[in-house]
Amino acid sequence: MNLIQPNNIIQTSESVRIGFIPLIDCAPFVIAQEKGFFIQEGVDVVLSKEASWASIRDKVAFNLLDGAHMLASMPIAASLGIGTIKTPMQTSFTVSHNGNGITIGNALYEELQHHAESSVDIRTGVALKRLLDGRAANAAPLRFAMVYPYSSHNYQLRDWLSRAGIDSDKDVQIVVVPPVKMLDSLRQGDIDGYCVGEPWNSLAVEQGIGHMLVTGYEIWGSTPEKVFGVNSVWAEHNLEVYLSIIRALEKACLWVDEPNNQTELLSILSHPDYLNCTLEQLVYGFSAIKPKGQFDWPMKAYQRFSGSDINKPLPSYALWIMAQMYRWQQLGDIKSLNDVAEQVYRQDLYYKALGLTEEKNNTDWHLSVEDESTWLDSVALGKIRLHPNGILNGFDK
Amino acid sequence: MPAPPEKELTVMLVDNEPARAAIVEQAMIDSGYRVIRRLENAKNLTEAVTEFQPDMVIIDIESPDRDMLENMSRLTKDNPRPIVMFAEEDDSRHVEAAIRAGVSAYVVDGVNSGSVKALLQVAIARFREFQALRSELESVKSQLEDRKLIDKAKGLIMKHQKCDEPAAYQALRKLAMDRSQRMTDVARNIISVMELMGGSK
Repeated sequence: MNLIQPNNIIQTSESVRIGFIPLIDCAPFVIAQEKGFFIQEGVDVVLSKEASWASIRDKVAFNLLDGAHMLASMPIAASLGIGTIKTPMQTSFTVSHNGNGITIGNALYEELQHHAESSVDIRTGVALKRLLDGRAANAAPLRFAMVYPYSSHNYQLRDWLSRAGIDSDKDVQIVVVPPVKMLDSLRQGDIDGYCVGEPWNSLAVEQGIGHMLVTGYEIWGSTPEKVFGVNSVWAEHNLEVYLSIIRALEKACLWVDEPNNQTELLSILSHPDYLNCTLEQLVYGFSAIKPKGQFDWPMKAYQRFSGSDINKPLPSYALWIMAQMYRWQQLGDIKSLNDVAEQVYRQDLYYKALGLTEEKNNTDWHLSVEDESTWLDSVALGKIRLHPNGILNGFDK
Repeated sequence: MPAPPEKELTVMLVDNEPARAAIVEQAMIDSGYRVIRRLENAKNLTEAVTEFQPDMVIIDIESPDRDMLENMSRLTKDNPRPIVMFAEEDDSRHVEAAIRAGVSAYVVDGVNSGSVKALLQVAIARFREFQALRSELESVKSQLEDRKLIDKAKGLIMKHQKCDEPAAYQALRKLAMDRSQRMTDVARNIISVMELMGGSK
C-alpha cells in the first residue's frame, strides 16, 4: 500500500529493509512509511511483514533484513548468543512502552471466583495460588501461553506468578503461542491463560472468551516494549542512513500519539498489508477495557509511543532484562553487564540522531564493581525490583 | 542416488504449503531419510515433537509456529534447537543458504553435523525449485494481466483519439519512452485518468 505519492523519490542509497510483526506497536514503522517520514529524511525503506520473532532474528542476523521492529530483549539475546548464533545487534530507539496484559479463560475465572474474596486476590495471583494448592497432584497442569521465550511477556508472566508464590516451571506449564492464535487457543481450551500485547487481551474480554487479570504496566510499571533493533555491522557501515531512520521514527511516534490522528491511524493499521483486521478489533486495543465480571475492574494497557522518556534507549533496562534471563536460566557466562548494556542500548546514537546534547548524568545507570557482582542474584531473588512507576524511576532495593 | 546416511535421521516436516511439502518429503525419502510426520497445520506442534522425538524439524521460515519451537530447547536438552545455534562463525554458509531459501531447521543436540548439512541441502534444493516454479507461474500470470491492461488502454485511446489500433499502440509506446516508465504503468495511468473523467464507459 502507498497512501502518499511523492513527486520526487530521493534515492541516496539502496533501500533499507525493515521487518515488522503485525501488532499494534508496529505503528511507528507503518506510519513513518505511509505518512512519508522516511522519504522526508531521504531514506527509501521497504517494510517486510514477518510471521515470527525467530524469523526477524534470523533475517537480521544473516542480512536479509537490516533492522526490525523487535522485542526490547532481542538485541541483547542476539548479542550474547542466547538461543541463536552470536550476532552483534543494537538499538538506539525505543518504539513503545507497555501494552501487555494477562488474560485467563472463562473456565479458570469461574474456578478462581471460589478462591477470591476481593478483586485484589485475583489481581495479585493469590486466588490462583490457592486454587493450585488445592488441586490434586496428578491433575493436568494449568497451561499459560506467552509469545516468545526472550520477551517481556514471558518475564512478566513468570514474575507475576512468582510473586504469588507460584513456581512457573513446576506448578504450571508455560508454552509459546503466536499472538494471532491466542484467542482461538483460549477459546478451544488448549491454554488456560496468556500474557500478550494488545489488542489480544481486550478482544478476549470483548468477545466474552476470557477475563483480563492484570496489565504489564501494573506488574512492572512503565517499561520499554518494542525497539528499533538493527544489525550492528549494518549500523556501522550505514550510520547516516541509520540516524535518518531514527529521526523519521521519532516523528512517526509523535504522530501516532496525537489523538486527532487516531481514526486515520486505525484505518492504515487495519489494511491487509499491515494488521489485516477490522477497525473494531483495533479500537479496543487503544481504549480502556471494561469490567465484565464480579471481580473485574477497568484496565488500560498504557501503550505509549512518543517523548524522550519513551524513545530514549535505557541501558538500565538492559541490565534488568539480563537479570530476567539469568533468573529464568537463559543467561550463560557474561563478563561485564555494564559493557553489554552500553553496547546494545546505544544512547549516544539516539542523541546524535536527534541533535540533542547528552545529559550530564547519563552514566548514572552504571553498576558499581560491587553491585555488578551481585546484580543478577539480587534481582533473581527479588531483593531488587523495578520502581512501581517503572524503569525511569530506577530500582527499589 | 547418494549413499544412504550412516545413521538414519528421522525428520519432522512442517509446511502449510501442501504441494511443496509433498515434493520435499519425496526428496527426503529418496535420499534415505525417514520422514516421521508431515504436518500441514502445526496446532499441536510442541506435543507432536515431544511424542515423535524427531532428530530434526524442517519448517517453513515464514511459519508463525516457529516461535513455539524456540521455547522447546529450554524445556529439556533433548528437544530440537534452532539450527542457527549450531552455526559456528566459519561454518554458517549452509545456514545462510537455508534462510535465503526459506528453510528453517531445528536439530537435536548430538546429531552428526554432516548428516544435518546433507539433509538441509535436500530441503534447500526443493524449496528453491518450488520457489522458481511459483515465480514462473506468477510471471506468466502478471504477463497476462499486463496484456489486458495494455489492451484496455489502447481501446480507450482509440475511442478518445478516433485512431486505429497501431496508432494507439504507438502513442502508448511513445508515452512510456518519454517518461521512461513501463508500458503497463502508463496504461494503468491512462485507464485511471479516463475513468476519473468518465471516459471509459
